[in-house]
Amino acid sequence: MKTLDRQSLEEQTRLVSRYVAGDLSRSERAEFEAWLIASPELAGEVEMERRLRRGIASAARRGWLNRSASRPVMSRQWRVAIAASLVAAVAVGWVLAVPGRDRAQLAESNRPAKQLPRLASRVVQLASVRGAAGAPDIEVARADAPVELVLQPDVVVLTCEDGSIEFECPSGAAPATPQYPEYEADVVNRRRAALIWRSPRQTPVSGTQLSFALRDSASLEPGDYDVIVRGHAPDHEEVVGRFVLRIN
Amino acid sequence: MSAPPVDEVERIVVAALTGNRDAESRMLVALRPGVLAVLRFGAFHRWVDAEDLTQETLHIVVERVRARTIDDPRKVFAFAAATARNLALNAARKMLRQQTVVDSELVDELAQNLEMEQSDLSEQDDRQLAEAVAALLEELPTERDRQLLMRFYLDGTDKQQLCRELGLSPKHFDRVLMRARTRLRTIIERRAPHLALLPRALSLFLALATTFTFWVRHFGHW
Repeated sequence: MKTLDRQSLEEQTRLVSRYVAGDLSRSERAEFEAWLIASPELAGEVEMERRLRRGIASAARRGWLNRSASRPVMSRQWRVAIAASLVAAVAVGWVLAVPGRDRAQLAESNRPAKQLPRLASRVVQLASVRGAAGAPDIEVARADAPVELVLQPDVVVLTCEDGSIEFECPSGAAPATPQYPEYEADVVNRRRAALIWRSPRQTPVSGTQLSFALRDSASLEPGDYDVIVRGHAPDHEEVVGRFVLRIN
Repeated sequence: MSAPPVDEVERIVVAALTGNRDAESRMLVALRPGVLAVLRFGAFHRWVDAEDLTQETLHIVVERVRARTIDDPRKVFAFAAATARNLALNAARKMLRQQTVVDSELVDELAQNLEMEQSDLSEQDDRQLAEAVAALLEELPTERDRQLLMRFYLDGTDKQQLCRELGLSPKHFDRVLMRARTRLRTIIERRAPHLALLPRALSLFLALATTFTFWVRHFGHW
């Protein structure tokens, strides 16, 4: 650990985001954590970084963030120059290539079609036995992602009242009690090993039916995600299903 | 209540190392946020009760300080961090042994997942936090800063790429994040002070409770 001076503290403060994201090496982490102990100020930064991450994710889930402008920007001069060049090129091409009488008709036929409304909801049934190795269980294209992606994994095992897993219970009846009283689903970004979304816990409906509604799947970055379903009992939890969601 | 600066914390620990009882209490108050942060963000935070282990860590640190086997305050900080990590690791091992986790690869993934949030916020708090962040993004001075935050935190675009695309130096990038955190703290303190202030009040209370417990257990009186 370096000297406890303001400059060293500022150096560490720059690492806050990487620390919370888990990007520090083992030695960097050890040094950072010693600083964390020494500096309540740095601990406050870490806490606020966590709040910032969670708050942005939550605001995005609620559809409160305007992502339309969230693209790389270039300088204003470059944008103006490129736009002017494009307009000039199109105008010249138009005059040279299209005979006068055809222009009006062409303009009419090229009028852009109205943008299709986004699908409100898409329901995906997920079988307990997964498909071919490596293939995603769910694929969603960001361009036509539904407002709500409803995942219905078939992962609830029914047991006898005493919790045993049998084909037939001692009373002669079929098993009818879900193995766990509550279930929840996580969506984890594989590349960043980061939790993107966690469902509220829910009790199976009609014995085995689970239904997790992931809102605004269009805000997910392209890539593969693990959908992890866990059963929760008062004293333990267990992963009962794992599926792959691919965002294209 | 503002956090003491780092050199002040160092002076407090130096005084505690001389056996000053008052300094010990202040040391516990000063170290607690950091220990809690290590436990809440460390590699195994998903599996540990950070509050409980913070108490245990501070207890061990006080014992070590009293034993006078450490003479450098910086070693106290490193010792506290290492103790917190070890306690978290042991707690995680114990927890994983008790659970029926079916996929060892998954266990690693979950254990190392530093963004895995514990459900420490109610729906209402989560909503207030989202509102605070939305307000923060709204009042950022430039569109570039807004893009930086959203692409960094939501899209996971890495720092180098963002610096390249937005024409920023790495230091400038860090400053934008630091300013955002500072501004978010202000907004939270104004709109939902319990999200920012409660941990501080709790921190003070629990540190005093640790001191009290330690003294009564070892000396039979307060």
